[in-house]
Amino acid sequence: MLYIFCPHCGLRSQNEFAYGGDATVKRPELNKEISDQDWDNFVYLRKSPRGKHLELWHHISGCRQWIKVERDTSTHEIFKTYKADELTE
Amino acid sequence: MSQDFRLNNIGMVNRNKKISFIFNGKKYFGYEGDTIASALIANGVHLVGRSFKYHRPRGFFGVGVDEPYAILQLERNNERDPNIRATEQEIFEGLEVKSVNCWPSVNFDIGAINNFLKMFFPAGFYYKTFMWPPSFWYKIYEPFIRMAAGFGEASIKHDKERYEHKYEYCDLLITGSGPSGLASAYAAAKNGARVILAEDKPRYGGSLLTSDVNIGNQTGIEWSEKIITELKSMSNVIVKNRSQVFGYYDHNMLVMSERISDHLPKTQKYLPKQRLWYIRAKEVLISSGSIERPLVFGNNDTPGVMLSSAAKEYMKVYGVLVGKKPLIFTNNDSGYETAIEFKKNGVNPLILDTRKEPSSDIITEAKNLGIEIKFSYVVVAAKGYKKVKSADIAKISDNKKDLSNIENIECDCICVSGFWTPSIHLASQSGNKSEFNEKIDAFIPKKSKQKENTIGSANGKFTLEETINEAFDKGYEVSNKITENNNKVSIPTVVEKKSTQHDKFWCVPLPKGKSYKRFLDFQNDVAVTDIELALREGFRSIEHVKRYTTLGMATDQGKTSNLNGLQLVSDIENKVVPQVGHTTFRPPYTPVSIGAIVGREVGKHSKPTRKSPMHEWHEKNKAVFVDAGVWLRPRYYKQGNETLFEASKREAKNVRKNVGVCDVTTLGKIDVKGPDAAEFLNRVYTNAWLKLPVGKARYGVMLREDGIVMDDGTTTRISENHYHMTTTTAQAANVLSHLEYYLQLVWPELNVNVVSTTEQWAGAAIAGPNSRALLMKLFPNTDVSNEGLPFMGYKEADLFGIPSKIYRISFSGELAYEVNVESDYGNFMWEKIIEVGKEFQIQPYGTEALSTLRIEMGHVAGSELDGRTIPHDASLEGLVSKKKDFIGKRSLSRSAFTKPDREKIVGVVPLDKTTSIPEGSYIVKDPKAKLPNPKLGHVSASCWSVEYDNPFSLAIIKDGKNMIGQKLFAMSPLKNKTIPVEIVSSHYVDPEGKRVRG
Amino acid sequence: MQKYSVFSLIKNAFSDHQNWEVAWKDPTPKKEYDVIIIGGGGHGLATAYYLAKEHNITNVAIIEKGWIGGGNVGRNTTIIRSNYMHDDNALFSEFGMDLWRKMSQDLNYNVMFSPRGIINLAHSDAQMNAYSRRGNSMRLNGIDAVLLNREEVQKLIPMADFSDNVRFPIFGGLMQPSAGTARHDAVAWGYARQADSMGVDIIQNCEVTGFDVTNGKILGLRTSRGDIKAKKVGLCVAGSTNILAEMLNMTLPIETHLLQACVSEPVKPLLDHVVTFGAGHFYCSQSDKGEMVMGGDLDGYNSYSQRGNLPTLQHVLTEGIAMFPFLSKLKMLRTWGGIMDMSMDGSPIIDKTHIDGLYLNCGWCYGGFKATPASGWTFAHTIAQDRVHELNAGYSLNRFNTGDLIDEKGLGTKTWIS
Repeated sequence: MLYIFCPHCGLRSQNEFAYGGDATVKRPELNKEISDQDWDNFVYLRKSPRGKHLELWHHISGCRQWIKVERDTSTHEIFKTYKADELTE
Repeated sequence: MSQDFRLNNIGMVNRNKKISFIFNGKKYFGYEGDTIASALIANGVHLVGRSFKYHRPRGFFGVGVDEPYAILQLERNNERDPNIRATEQEIFEGLEVKSVNCWPSVNFDIGAINNFLKMFFPAGFYYKTFMWPPSFWYKIYEPFIRMAAGFGEASIKHDKERYEHKYEYCDLLITGSGPSGLASAYAAAKNGARVILAEDKPRYGGSLLTSDVNIGNQTGIEWSEKIITELKSMSNVIVKNRSQVFGYYDHNMLVMSERISDHLPKTQKYLPKQRLWYIRAKEVLISSGSIERPLVFGNNDTPGVMLSSAAKEYMKVYGVLVGKKPLIFTNNDSGYETAIEFKKNGVNPLILDTRKEPSSDIITEAKNLGIEIKFSYVVVAAKGYKKVKSADIAKISDNKKDLSNIENIECDCICVSGFWTPSIHLASQSGNKSEFNEKIDAFIPKKSKQKENTIGSANGKFTLEETINEAFDKGYEVSNKITENNNKVSIPTVVEKKSTQHDKFWCVPLPKGKSYKRFLDFQNDVAVTDIELALREGFRSIEHVKRYTTLGMATDQGKTSNLNGLQLVSDIENKVVPQVGHTTFRPPYTPVSIGAIVGREVGKHSKPTRKSPMHEWHEKNKAVFVDAGVWLRPRYYKQGNETLFEASKREAKNVRKNVGVCDVTTLGKIDVKGPDAAEFLNRVYTNAWLKLPVGKARYGVMLREDGIVMDDGTTTRISENHYHMTTTTAQAANVLSHLEYYLQLVWPELNVNVVSTTEQWAGAAIAGPNSRALLMKLFPNTDVSNEGLPFMGYKEADLFGIPSKIYRISFSGELAYEVNVESDYGNFMWEKIIEVGKEFQIQPYGTEALSTLRIEMGHVAGSELDGRTIPHDASLEGLVSKKKDFIGKRSLSRSAFTKPDREKIVGVVPLDKTTSIPEGSYIVKDPKAKLPNPKLGHVSASCWSVEYDNPFSLAIIKDGKNMIGQKLFAMSPLKNKTIPVEIVSSHYVDPEGKRVRG
Repeated sequence: MQKYSVFSLIKNAFSDHQNWEVAWKDPTPKKEYDVIIIGGGGHGLATAYYLAKEHNITNVAIIEKGWIGGGNVGRNTTIIRSNYMHDDNALFSEFGMDLWRKMSQDLNYNVMFSPRGIINLAHSDAQMNAYSRRGNSMRLNGIDAVLLNREEVQKLIPMADFSDNVRFPIFGGLMQPSAGTARHDAVAWGYARQADSMGVDIIQNCEVTGFDVTNGKILGLRTSRGDIKAKKVGLCVAGSTNILAEMLNMTLPIETHLLQACVSEPVKPLLDHVVTFGAGHFYCSQSDKGEMVMGGDLDGYNSYSQRGNLPTLQHVLTEGIAMFPFLSKLKMLRTWGGIMDMSMDGSPIIDKTHIDGLYLNCGWCYGGFKATPASGWTFAHTIAQDRVHELNAGYSLNRFNTGDLIDEKGLGTKTWIS
């Protein structure tokens, strides 16, 4: 079971969290013209690398904050975690 | 009672406590501390089972978790425990065990005919035959094979035992209490670390229990007892026996199963059978020791052939002789220790050593004791069917290829030692890639991937001195990283006999003209010829070999067979072992009870149950409940002998005619607060929210980004910056996460907070033409007139002194209100509504009536919004703003979502006005069309319309809006029904919505 | 090629099994092939077989990084079924069921297809209705399906929990009697042996390290065993799809996730059917060896590791005991993990790509094993004819642009929620 450092609460077991997938997906701005392809890419394409992966976890049974976790998808090692407002660009 | 094979002056069992048990219907005696294996051996019983494939006789091969043979069925407390290892299970008064996989008895087993036909059953034979005629596989061949396979019989009764879970955190977890485990635990504990020391067996000490050594001027046993006693007394140490750490998972999470009452006669109330420990350790020291390897020769599976270390342990720990005429067959010094132990106990062993002229302390000692030793000698084959009676032995040439004349010598057991295999399972599970160590012909752990170190013989250290030194150092080193106490204890001196190099030879060649089976995997009957065949047929990867031959796939997971299998493959393929590689080690190290893994979440507790504050009232008033996710909701309130259908019709009718009350507490409720709350809602919902006045509610639909409807519900503006959102029961948690996602990650600039208030409020929906009159009585001080509280209006009011909230919203399509009070007052509110409502003929109604009411109104719910529908499909396109942007809007323009014949919700009425249409039916044009019959769409919900007194259904069908008025067919082949129907509007009752506004 | 039969088995027994031929050869890669299939799993091997058998294309190589059959075909729970609601899935799978029924004879290899029936348990009327919808759709598509009430379920699987001490009582179930199981390794080996005999080169221990794409056309591969030219290349690598896609600068609507399964110690025959739990995600069948074969939820985060964690199995087995209380007394013997190519609507992709000569077969989620023959058959057709067959027309890549999604479960793009 993963041991995830919540930047708000500290080290907590994975069962307090819900997974949220690729953290690099950026929602297109509202009311902005966007091509069909770009929109569909936003909805359906995800980074799924073998190795370092920046992903979202939601501390649902804790502080209810979404956090960003940099984790290796082949070893499950966690390198670093971030608050939602970090690594925004 | 005499036990022919029990020794008097040796062993650790409690001679003062005799215990009787039953094996295969016959009563035997043993002593407290005996395992089934040791007790049976003491009684001279060696035949306990039959092998998987050939049904060859099976005895005891080992003395612990590595046992491939002695799998029995245990009976206790009128329960059956299949597949118990006799070498692990301790006896207790009244224990009953029996042999498995044999019929009619272990002594005479019909299945043994396979043994005579074994030439036709090589590895993988079943892939090559049983193919004709095609239908015979499933009908004839397979059932026969299934009957032959399997071991114990599972009971289908509920397991009455109790299993517990425990979470523990520690600085250092040490797996195994042999010399390295004890030494490192002691060093670390003295340095202030929080230590857990786990021992699989009942007794601590590991190899110290059976070896003739001296530590710090004490015998090994004395030293281990002293250390354990001290560790147990320390508050920073947890010491657990009968506890197997079986899995090493991510981020240093290890899992251990503790057998708490498996060895006790009767489970006391509240005493769990087993406890599963989830242990998060900062550091792990793996001191799980090593397992002796078998030597391979003809018929080496005959009962009486066993590991030499096991024979020694049976003597030293249990005071039991495995034979009185033992033959020791060894390629290293370990066999000598066993021989000396026999000799000391008055039994004359014969040693066959594969080595030519080895010399070491222990060999000299054996010679001095007068033990007969034959060097360069091998066992060619064991003789005897149900028990070893003699052995064919021969001298072997220096190149180990040629055998000289075969001699037959009498013996009643053959104790084999093919050197030692470190137990690297846990290290390997942790991600540590092992490396092959040529010196010991085995794999040892390489570089740690997690916070673990392997020590002692598990790390290939086979002298005690090395082990003790390494363990003390490691115990100090890893503990000091954590405690920084710098408290180092001194290392005791070790006296032991020095060993010499083992022989790399392990597999005896077949003598000319003989075709003895030489087994590698004893449980699955995998022999040398099977591996040879697999390689001959091109199954060259070790994984292919394993899968094709089933080597190492038995319940012992190849603890004694894997390495020999690897060596054989590398010999034949002319590769070195590391090139062949080994198959992956995965948890569990030993089989773990599924009950223990699951723990207490069984029966009614397998999932939580959520109940509304009014639950007891519902129960008292004969509610029949239905599961709504983990919530329990009243489905209907039974009066007399009513059926579901009758009751729900009565309840729904009463709503349409008088007034009804429904518990809506389960609906999700979310407080949305902040200056940007309106803007946020405007982005979340498809419709416009910026201009909703305070004190008004609005119905909204929210989408996922892919354009699919996620949820619907009403949201009310309580005050300028405060909104009360409701969600469906099913989606409550998802919607909250969804909102938090957008607020925290996408639009952090919005100043809005959301929090779930589902548990805060109890809710009652009051619906029907009499509802206003009732409300006037409930809230005499509040203006609830149509003007005072118009449709979609909201008011705070006083309910007999209790603050409450009134929302004028309707799901039933009637004039209706929803009253909320704080949860603690829920029951009070409910009782008041019922009490005051009596004069208006109020009745409670359940989800079934609720469903009827919404269906005939054409209101959509979960069965329509099933994760595949867009607003248009549910006729909600009117709520989709063309002006503003919102979550998922861009997806709605995709071609499949805008095509002219896109599905749309419609009403369906059977032409005969009497035949109900089963939910899940399909609408087709031609019921007799050839299959696959094109489907127009499906019936999502059905009810008996209480308004028109005929069946009515909702369906989502292609080009729905142009199908109204068409005569089609609803088909349910599952129920063998084809019903002519007419398509009508989905708004079957009050399409203009006059009632809700009235 | 040697024919396998009871007679050849007896004959060989008398020559001590010394004369069996290799099931497949171990060739050195040629310089060039007409078609290269990347991935020696079930789908890749089946594709090569059907290229040779149905399209007479035999200058074919299968390139496998490890050993054939080592991916998901060798680590699944062996369930074969066509009980789908959506037409695209249903018709495709039912086509596959026909291939399964004939497979042992077709391949001359006993894959032990065993139509023991699959029962999906329902625990509420709402679920019975949802199953009715699925079952009726199956029947209208010509697939067998039976709706069972509680008593009928109890007759078939009396060991399920019909007691009062149950959180989600069994209301009934949907059964596909013709569904079943097969011996997973045998499927890979059977296809490999036949493909090999028709001239396909099975090249193991050969890792693809790059692609040669020039002017939008595929020309060949770079591998750990040298460059190999190819007129056409088919990608059939399940959980590793994204790794190869990255080499091609493609991003696909697929995430890679970890799924665990486990078996109990073998016990005498008890359970004849494949059974799935309705109030969660758990499935169970008993193998011919006697082991209970069990699986359920994904571990729930992107992973290329084949090692899972215990809490997932704990969760899965909790549902297991809720369904079959007898499991409590059994012991978990073996666990393992596989990596799944989870697509954004839960359905696969078998299609051409924007690169000429490059074909894609992926997105099988955790349902790839049952699809092995149909996937191989349609992928072979797509490669050979350079156009999709009507059976796999729905499995297009551009459905993620048009909105013609095949979302059997209605869960959307959260691939990790199963």
